[in-house]
Order: sequence, then structure tokens, then C-alpha cells
Amino acid sequence: MSFFGFDSTLHNPAAAGFSQAHNPFAGLSNRDDDADALEFEDTYDGLGDQLDETDDAFNDDTFGDTVGPVSSRAPVGKDFDFFGQTANVANAIEEEHVRFHRQQPVAKVVQSVQQQVPQASTSATAYKFAPQPSSYKPARTGYEKYSQEPVAELQVDAALWGVAPKKQPAPAPVAAVSPAPAQTATPPATSTPGPTGRKMLSLEEVEAQMRAQSKKPVALSPAPQPQVQQQIQHDHGYQYSQPTQPQVPAPVDHIQHKEQSFHPGHGHPVTILQRPQSKHTPPAQPLVQPTAHQRQPPQPPPPQQQHQLHQLHQQSHQIQHIQQPQQIQQKPANVQILQNPNRLSGDVANLGLHAHPTPPIPANYPTHPVHQQQNSFSRQQILMAHPSQLAQLSEEEKMAYMDQEAKRAKRNHKIFLMSRDNGIMTPQDKNFVTRIQLQQLVSATGNPNEHGTDESLAEDFYYQVHNQIQGGGRQHPSQPLNNFAQTYLYQTGSRQGGPRRHNRGPENHMQRMEQQVQRAVEAAKNKPKNKQLVIEGSLGKISFSNAKTPKPLLNIKRNDSSNEPHRPSSSHKQPQHGTDKRSELRTIESIYTTLMKMEDHDRIMPPPPASDADAEAIQRFVAWSNDAQALNAQLWKALRIHDHSSAQIHPFIALLSYRKGKKAMPRIFRHTTQEQRTTILTLIVVNLDSLDVVRNAQVTTGDIQLNAAMRENVELFSVAVMSTLFNFLNELGLDLVAGVLGLVCTRNVGVIAKSKIGVSMLTMILSRAEIIKHGGGGSEHDWRAWDATYGQFFDLIEPSLPHIFPGTVNSGEDVYVWQLLAAIGIGASPDQQQRLVLAVKDRVMDTVALSKTLPQDLASQRLQNVNLFMRSIGLDVELLQ
Amino acid sequence: MLFFSFFKTLIDHEVTVELKNDIQIRGVLKSVDQYLNIKLENISVVEEIKYPHMSAVKNVFIRGSVVRYVHLPASAVDIPLLEDATRREAANQAGKAK
Amino acid sequence: MEHLSISDPPPQGTGGGGGAPPATLGRPPQQPQQLPAQMFTTAAQLLDLTDKKLMVALRDGRKLVGILRSWDQFANLVLQSTKERIFVPPGSGPNGRGLYADVDQGIFLVRGENVLLLGEIDLDKDDDAPPGYDLADIDLVQSLAKQKKGEDKLKEKSKVKKLSTLGFEGENLGEVLL
Repeated sequence: MSFFGFDSTLHNPAAAGFSQAHNPFAGLSNRDDDADALEFEDTYDGLGDQLDETDDAFNDDTFGDTVGPVSSRAPVGKDFDFFGQTANVANAIEEEHVRFHRQQPVAKVVQSVQQQVPQASTSATAYKFAPQPSSYKPARTGYEKYSQEPVAELQVDAALWGVAPKKQPAPAPVAAVSPAPAQTATPPATSTPGPTGRKMLSLEEVEAQMRAQSKKPVALSPAPQPQVQQQIQHDHGYQYSQPTQPQVPAPVDHIQHKEQSFHPGHGHPVTILQRPQSKHTPPAQPLVQPTAHQRQPPQPPPPQQQHQLHQLHQQSHQIQHIQQPQQIQQKPANVQILQNPNRLSGDVANLGLHAHPTPPIPANYPTHPVHQQQNSFSRQQILMAHPSQLAQLSEEEKMAYMDQEAKRAKRNHKIFLMSRDNGIMTPQDKNFVTRIQLQQLVSATGNPNEHGTDESLAEDFYYQVHNQIQGGGRQHPSQPLNNFAQTYLYQTGSRQGGPRRHNRGPENHMQRMEQQVQRAVEAAKNKPKNKQLVIEGSLGKISFSNAKTPKPLLNIKRNDSSNEPHRPSSSHKQPQHGTDKRSELRTIESIYTTLMKMEDHDRIMPPPPASDADAEAIQRFVAWSNDAQALNAQLWKALRIHDHSSAQIHPFIALLSYRKGKKAMPRIFRHTTQEQRTTILTLIVVNLDSLDVVRNAQVTTGDIQLNAAMRENVELFSVAVMSTLFNFLNELGLDLVAGVLGLVCTRNVGVIAKSKIGVSMLTMILSRAEIIKHGGGGSEHDWRAWDATYGQFFDLIEPSLPHIFPGTVNSGEDVYVWQLLAAIGIGASPDQQQRLVLAVKDRVMDTVALSKTLPQDLASQRLQNVNLFMRSIGLDVELLQ
Repeated sequence: MLFFSFFKTLIDHEVTVELKNDIQIRGVLKSVDQYLNIKLENISVVEEIKYPHMSAVKNVFIRGSVVRYVHLPASAVDIPLLEDATRREAANQAGKAK
Repeated sequence: MEHLSISDPPPQGTGGGGGAPPATLGRPPQQPQQLPAQMFTTAAQLLDLTDKKLMVALRDGRKLVGILRSWDQFANLVLQSTKERIFVPPGSGPNGRGLYADVDQGIFLVRGENVLLLGEIDLDKDDDAPPGYDLADIDLVQSLAKQKKGEDKLKEKSKVKKLSTLGFEGENLGEVLL
């Protein structure tokens, strides 16, 4: 059945290629060939028969008086409000479309578009479709329409040939600006009025023309004929820009439909034509990702996607027609210009600006999607098209404007020429290649979309974990892969979340240490002060007038240890402790391998058995634990803790001299037992003075700085090892802390105290003890042991105290030393405090003096550092000023 | 696939690609594929005068096989992670070889 | 697919999960940061370049300018309206400036392995002569280019010879990659 009674079976599929711009929604109006469509006769209730149509009695009321005198006749006018009416139901229509496409993913075959009726009828049909449920036909080849092209459009094509580019029709009177439906829907009549009545060319003739044209230089074409196009273009742009304008008589789909009827005969505008539609879709609706189409969803996608799929389908379908040879050759050029809305004002510039008033084009007017990027200047700056605006410009601006317009026109013309054969490679082709490649990727790396599987991790580890670290992972803390993110985020200590904040780690650890010292100092301050310690006896007599105070009267005897000559810091390249560097590096690698195995093993940890009854779960868990223990043993062996050979340096300590050895520390601590950690801590403390970052990083009193490599080494040790030990030490009880301090006393305290790492370690130990004391921890026995050890330690370190400051007083890098002094000061007896003051008072006075010459904030910072120590012994720098 | 995996993390970073014919192209990395073909956008060519054919080019697709070096922004590389990724890759390769 | 651009944002949630309904329950949630896998394919890289005017530099040093019409996963290319652009570097031309000329070549099918790089041409700069270069007569340019190529070949040959005596194997023995 067809609306107008034409025989739709005459359609000739062989000629399909002539018109790729057939109406994609034509199927909507021809639903009645569906098997389950309603037959008119079945449903007709006969109401029409009751109408009185005998004498046209109310025709005048309905259509106006047409028989009266001309003067009295009301003008018909052009203020039809079809659109306004339609808009009222636009949403419903939209909904129906969506529904339709959902029910019928295949673009429906068009059969009944009439052969004799020009485009007007096809456009009109867009209104007439009745949403009817149709049978679901999921299987499709994408070529359905190809074989069933509506014949009617052949004729429209023929009409368009009438304005074949070669002929260059004279500038035509342009259709009135009110695009009433009838006008726009019959483009051959209104928009191509040039040499009207042009005869239809034979294929040979057309080819001859095309050949002749292709030989002509490219630049010839933008001559007069675009003028026609501009106007058409203009009308279109107008419609798009003001879709709610009353005269524009259609919801989106109709526009689209009409658009296609406007320039049938070439396929690519479809891509443009879809753009405006997206503007009409409800804003809340999620943007459908194009990628979705690549994967051929196994289930019917959500309606919107389906909708798009449908369009995609149609589009590709139409593009396929381009591939028909004669089609390529016969594309009328001036029709294609329509897809380059931007050229409008450019052409105006070329043709004389005031010839056609051209309202500004909306900035969001869609350009050709393929080519819109291929220019360097943005469209925004050019959108000043109205002549009245132009008149207000200076000559110079006008020139610049014209220049730009010319440029734009030129570019658009190029795009136009290029776009003739757009879409030779169809979306299907592209899909096909993409799928091949994805297939290859999958076979090489596992499914790239399944993140976190072992297979994809093996091949794509860096990308996936990197991604998680950069922020993606932490939204799902329960995810197994997150273990990795945590390993690299927190365990290495070098990054505290966020991308690459190198300094956060050490700062954090140092800050915490400082806070700990401060807390200890605060705690100590609350205790009753020793009255004997007054300024007079210690610092009071010192003259403040001279910054360079004379030598202190007291002669402090020195230990032999502190007389050890300072190593020149430049000799940083130490021999590798007499052991084989290669085997050490191998050992480190085996440590890492084991660590990674353990981390992988952690990820597959079975949930602990819920009840004792679940034998299988228990068994699984036991098996897992056994494996974990085996791995732990493997790690422990690799660490060579108990491997004390005759070598001068303990093998484990040797490992710590390598960067990657240091970096492994946090991860080692994560996978070892408390006992093992204690052993490691003990081992490090016992070998404190043989650590490269202690031995080779001795401070000097001069301005000589450590070389960059060693500074980096020290920093890395601080970040990776010290912070780990710090965290661990803070869990230890007083007995162990005292034991650790006792171990320190067995070593060369002078050497230890002259390195930043050594000082940090001492501060850590001492402040930990103070915190325990403050918290009321530790038995009396433990405290007696501690006091004894402390006394021993104080005696050992006292001689070195004046020499542990790095650089001169100017260098200002001595914060950590003041922290140590504070930590010592808190626990010191009055006598020890006095000795402490004597040992460092030069530095105190120098710093105070220096701070007077410094800018205020810097000065107060320096004084604060000193004060940390002063307060620990119940003094304050203010007393010195 | 370590390098593929690695380059994927450099998307949207500015890199300089040096080709085997010595031309150096600086641009924003937009894509990389399994052959390490590279797509750069908003490019600039070092020593432009020597390469007149690049004067009107703004985006390039570079075939992976002709790349000599890729100069990376150091800040975009996570070295500890890369070290472990390398270890894993090495273990994988060793496993496959068996 | 037609509008799939590598600059498009990755799909939300279902990272490349295609059109599958958002029934991700039971599966681990996808990484929102993860870019879709299809972004990292040759196809995705060439997608944006399709139907655009490109400069193709070949391994033998030729420069082709044409419109990319089709391609495959090996980056084999079909170019339409191709012109070969021949350059003569500054110094050998009449006034010391560089010269260039175009030769129409029609449709090209380029095997992917011969491609050095593809450059998308900025249509606004397209017609400007490269800085320091002038458009010249094709015959002149061709003869100069031929001469230059001969010289370069000789130079390269002797260089390779010298290098090989030192044990170097050039990355591109005998080939002029420019």
C-alpha cells in the first residue's frame, strides 16, 4: 500500500546508486508494509462517510473567502504556524522515533516512495508516520537499503544535474526568507532556478562534463554560482540556528529529511545533518560514545545508542552509494558547497560585500565534521559577517577582515573540492580494521578492557598501575589491583598520592620527627625545672656585643674518635667494599623478584575461613599461608641478614649502598615479621657507622658541601630507609629502644653524629624514649637501664657536639642538629645540660647574632631552630637578646 | 608490550621524537599503537628550514620503525614502577622462552 | 565510529565496554581513568586523518601531498589527487634560495613500510611557499634535484665506507632518508 496509490514495486535496485541521499526516515511513513501493520479497511470506523461534503458549505470559513472582490479578500499571508503546532508534539514524535528505532534496529526498507511525485511528498511523509510496533529484526547486514533504493529520488538527482557545476547558472533570485514547507520541500524548483527546464543529461554527457571540469584549475570554481548556494546555505543555517522559529515547520527529523531532499545525489552531508539533531536531543541524555559502535554490542543497546546506530547505519549505507562509479562523477558541485557553511561570508567577500545581506552565522553551526579541524584559525574570529558591522570598521580592519574572509573562502573551497570523495572508506571499513587490531591486541595482551586480570597485568603492568596511581585506582579501594597502587604509592614513600611529589616523602618523615621532638620538648617543659640551671652560670656572662665571640674559656677535651680526619667529601666513589658488585646487584634483583611474588601472592589471599566447619576454606587458607611462609623464607634468605662472611661490610649493609637496595626497604618491611624487622633494625644500627651514607657523608665545618650524588643518596636513604625505620621504631617498647641505643654506644658515635643520617637515627631513638616516658610507658627496670645507657651515650657524644653542625652558621642547614640537641637535652640531667650548653654555646650565639642581620622571617626561623634546643633545657633565645 | 604500555602513559604529554633521518619533531603525544607508531599534534620541527616539506604540517603520524629516540618529560615517568614493570617483562619473556 | 576521534573523552564507566548495557554488577568496577583500548590502534590514529590532505614522507625521501582516502592496519595508504613535491635545498638555486615544484601523480597506493611519516596539512598554510623556498619551473627543479641527489649519494657512500672501516653499520645504509 502506498499513500498516493503509486506502485512501489517498480523500484529498480540496479539503479540504486544514483541517489544516496534518500530519505532515511521514509521507512517511517511506510510502515504499512510491515506484516503486523494495520490495514486501513480493518480499522476504519466509517466516520468519514458521515461527513457532509456536498456543497463545501464551510469552505470559506476554513480557507478564507476566495470568491469575493480582490480588495476585500484577506491576503493569504505567510504566517503559517505549522511548526508551532508541530512543536507541541515534537517530544512525542521524538519519543516515537526512539521507540521505533529500538523496535527496529534495521533501517526500514523504503519501497513506496512515489516515483512520479517529487521530493515534496517524501518530505511530507515525515509527518505522517504512525508509530506502530513492528517485528524485531536484529539480524542485519548493513546492506539492506542498498538493494532497495527508492526510485523517486532518481528524478531529483536528475533535476540537480541541471545545475551541474560546469554550467554556472546566473545568480538566481533567491527564495523568500520564510521557508514555508512547500518551498523548502521542493528544492529543485526554488533553489536551482538557473537554466530551468534543463534537459536531463545522459551518463556520457555528464562524464564528459566532469572530465572537462577536472582539467580546469581548482581556483576557477568559486565564481558566481556559489551565490545561489549562499542563499540556500543561509536559509539552512537560519533554520538550524533557530529551530524554534515558528516558520521553520518541522521537528528535527523533518529538517533532516528535508535537508536530504535538498541535495540528494551526494552522501556525505549526512554527517553534518546528524549534528543538528544532536542539538535537539534532550540535554540530560548521555553522550553516546562512538566507540560503542566498534564492538557490535551483543545485546540491544539503550535506545539512544540504538538510535545512533541506526543513523550510523544509514549514513554508511549512503556512503556506499558513492562508491558507485557514475555517482562519483556526477556529483553536482554546487550542491556540495552546502556542507561548508563557513564559506558563506567568504564568498560574500569575494563577490562584493553588500550584494547579499548575510546575518551572522551561529558559532555552533556545524561544519563538515571531517574537515572542520583542518584549519589553523578558529571560526570565532571570523564570525562578523553582517555588512552593517563591517561599515563601522576602519579601513585597516576592513582589509584584515576581507583578507581573512578570502582566506576562509579559499580554505572552504579546498575542503569542498576534497570532500567530493569523502567516505570512500566507510565506517564499516574503519570498524573492520579497528577490530582486527583489537583482536591482535587481545591475543597479544589479553583483553585490554579487563583491567586487573593476571594476563593483562603481565603485559600492561606499567600502564595499568600507573593509571591507578595517577588517581583512577583509589576510588575503589577494594579492588585487588589496588595492592599495586599501594605498593608504589605508599611503600616506596617517594610519592604520597598524586603525581610525582618527590619531596613529600622526606618532608613528611622529617616533619614527623620534628613534631616528635617538639612534643618531647613540650612534655619536658611541663616538668619542674631545675633551679640550678640559670642563665648566669651558663650563658649569662657572654658578651652579646660581639658576634665573633672569643674562644670559650673552657677547654673541651676530645675523644680520639672525633679527631678522625674528615673524609674529603669529593671522594664519593668508594670501592665496593671488596665484594663482588655483580653478585650484590643480583641479590637485590632476587629480593625484588621475591617481593613481587609476595605482592602477587597477597592479591590471591583467600578470605579467612568463616567457620571451622568449612574444611575446604581452611585448607585453602592454610595452603596460601604455607606459600606465603615459603616466600618469606625466600626473601629472608635473599636479604642475607645472617650471612655474615669475613667481608668487611655486612652483605645486607652492602645492599643498602645501592639505590635500588635502599628503595626496597619499605617493601621488605611490608612482607616481614615483627621479629625479622627488629633484626633488620638492629643490624642497621650495629652497622650504622659503616653505612655509606654515614661514613662517606661526614659533615664539615667549612662551606664544602657534599657532592650531588651523595646528597641524593642521603636523601634517598632518608626517604626509603629512615622513614621505614622511624615508623617501626615508634612501635617498639623502651627495652628495645634502650637496647638500640646501647648498640649505638658500641659504635663510633663521633662518626655517626657527624652525618645527617646518623643524627637522624639518634634523634629518632632519643625522642622515642622521651615519648614513651611522656606516655608513662616502660617499667622502672627499663628506665634504669635506659638512664645508664643514656649516660654512656652522652659521654660518648659530648666531645663531638661542637663539630656536628654542617657548614658554617650561614648555611642554615642545621635544623636536624638542633633537633638532636633538643632530644638529648630533654633527657639530660642538670649536669649534662650544663655540659650540653657549654658544648654548643658558640653555635647558639653565632646563630643569634646572625639572625639579627637576616630578614625577619628567616631570622625567626633560625631562632626557632635554636629555640627547639633551648627550650628542651628550659631556656629561651629571647633571654639572649 | 612494555614500551607500548609505557608510551600509553605519556598520552597528552609533550615529547620530542627524533627520527632516523635526524629530523626532530616536538608535539603533544596523542596516540601510540602496538607497533609504536606515534601520533603527535601541534607539532614544531627543530631546524625547520632544513625540512621544508613540514612547513604546512600541524599533526603527524610517525611510523614506529623510523623512530630513533623519543625525548620524554622526566616528570611523567614513574621510575620505581617502571623498574618493576621491566622486571615483570623480563620474567615474562624468560617464562615464554622456556 | 565516523566521529571517533582520539581526542574524544574516553567512555564513562564502561571503558570500551561497547554498547553493552551498564550491567557491571558483579564485575569489578572499571577504571575511569583507563583509556579505551581502541584508542591505541593504528586505526584510531589514521581515523582522524582520513579524507584529509596529507603530506607523506617516504623512505626514499620522496614527499607526496594528497588526500588520504583509505588505509589498513599496516598503514598501507591510498592517496588521491597526489602531487609529488620536489625540493632543492637553498644554495643550489639561482638566487641562493631553495626551490620546489609539484608534479601531478594521481592516485597512489603506498605500502605502509615505505612510509616515514604522515603529516596533516594546515589548509591555510598549504599554498604558502615554505620559508626560504620559491616555486620554480619543474624541469629546473627536477634537474637540480637529480644533481643534488647524485652528490648526496656519493657523499653518503663515502661516509658509509669510512664508517664501515671503523666498524659502524649505518641505520640506513645507502638510503637517503630525508
